[in-house]
Amino acid sequence: MPAFAPARNAATKSELDRDLETDVSTVTERPWNVIVWNDPVTPMPVVVAVFKRIFGYPNNKCTHLMLTVHHEGRAIVWSGQRERAESYCVKLQVAGLQSTVEQDA
Amino acid sequence: MLGKLFVRRRDGRIEVRLNDAGREIIREVFAHVLAAERDPDHEWHLSLNAPINPSSDDDDPLSVLARDKDIASNAELSVMTLREQFLTDAEAWAWLSTIQVALRATAVANGILSDEKLESCPNELLEDIRTMQHFLFDLSTCF
Repeated sequence: MPAFAPARNAATKSELDRDLETDVSTVTERPWNVIVWNDPVTPMPVVVAVFKRIFGYPNNKCTHLMLTVHHEGRAIVWSGQRERAESYCVKLQVAGLQSTVEQDA
Repeated sequence: MLGKLFVRRRDGRIEVRLNDAGREIIREVFAHVLAAERDPDHEWHLSLNAPINPSSDDDDPLSVLARDKDIASNAELSVMTLREQFLTDAEAWAWLSTIQVALRATAVANGILSDEKLESCPNELLEDIRTMQHFLFDLSTCF
């Protein structure tokens, strides 16, 4: 029994650690979304050019995102780590597009 | 101002084909953005400082600083290259960004947040907006 008990405890601790790690990774893996909002004055080719320049996306993806912004009022243009999301958001704002970040629900 | 106002050349530079009147309009646009970035009472200042993360009480100060610095840097580079006939890729991008910032700031400052508002705004304002859109449309084809 004494020899078995520590092993059980160790296994339990290991399971706890694994559970904690899972919980932590679940929280940190919720991505941050970069949102671009529609406005009535920005020419469509400008939006495409900005997406191409900042994200390096191919032309058809940039056009698709631009049309999503135009028709739906907003589009998620990038998702991932918070720091990178904020950095992209800054770049979009510096290029004159209305953008924000929000954590994925 | 007929024909293309900005043309990408084979050597990668962007040729500016604005006449004096066109350059004067652009000069005013750049000057306004610089002034708005530095003057908290400027009518465009608020629109240049939209929140990055509206769901939190405060934005990350470093992100705000980066945005403010980069907007001012683009405007300064644009002013410095105002008389150039040929722009590098980075200079032309600074022009595009600065004109676009000015366009959005004009819209926000005048409450133009929908297509209906845009169509019903005063003629003089509409003309300013159309002029900036024309510049942007031509310049964006170079990228």
